[in-house]
Amino acid sequence: MGNQEPGPQANRTLSEQDHFEVHDLAPEVFYEQVHSFEFWFQAVQGYLSGKVYGVDPNLSAPSLPDLDRDRLITVLCNYCVGETAALEGASGLIAIAPNRHTKIFLSTQVVDEGRHLEVFLHRLRLLDVADPEGEVERRASRSLLLFKRRLLELVNGKDWEAAIFAQNVILESLEFTVFQSHAREADPVTRDLLLGIVKDERRHIGFGENELGRRLQLAPHIRARLGQVKRELDHLVLDTLEETLLELGADPVEREKLGRAYLEAAARLGLET
Amino acid sequence: MADFLTAYSIQNWLESCPQGYLMGTVYGHRPEDEEPAPLLENEVLREEAIRTTVQLVVGERCALAASSGLINAAPDEASKRFLATQTLDEARHVEIFTQRLLDLGVPKKDLESTIQHFANPNLVKFAEVLLEKVDKKDFVAGVVGQNIVLEGMAFSVFEMLHAVSEPTNPKFARMLSGTIADERRHVGFGENRIGSLIKQYPERKADVEKLQKEMSYWMLATFADAFRNNPARAEFKRIEGELSRAGVHAEWQGVDLLTKDPEEMEQILADTVLKEFKTRLSRIGIEYQTPDRP
Repeated sequence: MGNQEPGPQANRTLSEQDHFEVHDLAPEVFYEQVHSFEFWFQAVQGYLSGKVYGVDPNLSAPSLPDLDRDRLITVLCNYCVGETAALEGASGLIAIAPNRHTKIFLSTQVVDEGRHLEVFLHRLRLLDVADPEGEVERRASRSLLLFKRRLLELVNGKDWEAAIFAQNVILESLEFTVFQSHAREADPVTRDLLLGIVKDERRHIGFGENELGRRLQLAPHIRARLGQVKRELDHLVLDTLEETLLELGADPVEREKLGRAYLEAAARLGLET
Repeated sequence: MADFLTAYSIQNWLESCPQGYLMGTVYGHRPEDEEPAPLLENEVLREEAIRTTVQLVVGERCALAASSGLINAAPDEASKRFLATQTLDEARHVEIFTQRLLDLGVPKKDLESTIQHFANPNLVKFAEVLLEKVDKKDFVAGVVGQNIVLEGMAFSVFEMLHAVSEPTNPKFARMLSGTIADERRHVGFGENRIGSLIKQYPERKADVEKLQKEMSYWMLATFADAFRNNPARAEFKRIEGELSRAGVHAEWQGVDLLTKDPEEMEQILADTVLKEFKTRLSRIGIEYQTPDRP
């Protein structure tokens, strides 16, 4: 099929696929390759094959002391709020996406976000939470709910650059930072599902940075508007980060380090920290 | 409600779809399959294949916009998650049918203009009626329009195309069989989820029935253009005759499609789809409305 669009990873060896990073691609190759169902499928197949609700079925959930269990429930509930925001944000963005490739990429992101929500709700059930959705409502962080509201306002306002920035750079970077940190200290079941999610988040951030990077090159005036969105959202994100890290028992040095890691994500786009 | 929705989880979707019947496929077909040479070498047939595939792209683009747009209108988390899988299914359909246009020789730079040129205006109207409901975040009407009417139509159209393609174009037949499996899941969700919502909001029935009638009219008008007014009917007749003489059959709904005139095929398709609508709508407590005939 000579006229076929570029195949995703079909020609890579397994070893090459293990080390494959979308961030390493040149922008034009990245754009052609990653915006397809085929690419998504090849990517997730590597780390979701054989998993049930994001977890190796051979792992068993440990029994946690009451205080640890309660903290974990609060953290997972807030992960659910973040993933619901991401699901609603990504699905709303499809309508305003500028082309077919972008719509298809966002469709893969929609199912990723839906999967994250599902695995977190399932983890809550494993912790004997009888009504996970009700528990999420009860324990939701106010800062995160405000962030979600603002994100959906940007999406509904059809502001493509600002919404992609809020969704695929700010929110995804926040989740990436927190999930990576949490995975290091988590019980085996939670760690396994977090590590799978982190791989998805890396793909979403790559898309956001690439999409905005190209637009910023073509229209540098967008930078000022994104800077304004960032200043508006930073305190909500940093408050959420602080609340979550406190629940996870992170010390002040670790909290400050992770706060910086989040701010560096915006800095990669040349937006002031 | 919660029990039936567990069958529509993303975990089940992953196991049955990407890790199930799509395993080993590339753009929905076996990697070694290609469009048959007699199709690519016959300009009339090639153009007709492009015209048909464009309608599939138009329909799937509408389904992608509708399913993603309905996520934010869904009243519960489980429905949102099912619609997330449907969104990606529809995006995959857009991708594979767009790829087929490229395989049929449409240059990449001409994709959009080709789609605009061949898109049936009645099908565009059909999509507009549905997307108006989605834009208003009307979940009940949106799901009936999307998962019962649009998907129900697509299901029968794909089955008919599959019956004709199976003996002549294994690549296209394989693409269609994967798509049919997706559509079956979507229609099932629509019936199950909307049944309970209609019981909860019986005042919505009249509006939903009006939507079904209107969308059905535009669907029938699309069928009329595709069969009655098809510019390639003489060439189709010649090839169908050749295939019949060679002992090739395309059985669907108890008839050999290769022996039928375009008007008869239109009638079979329209009757099949409308009968399905009637059955499915009655299951969810909606009274089927007979559409005007174009």
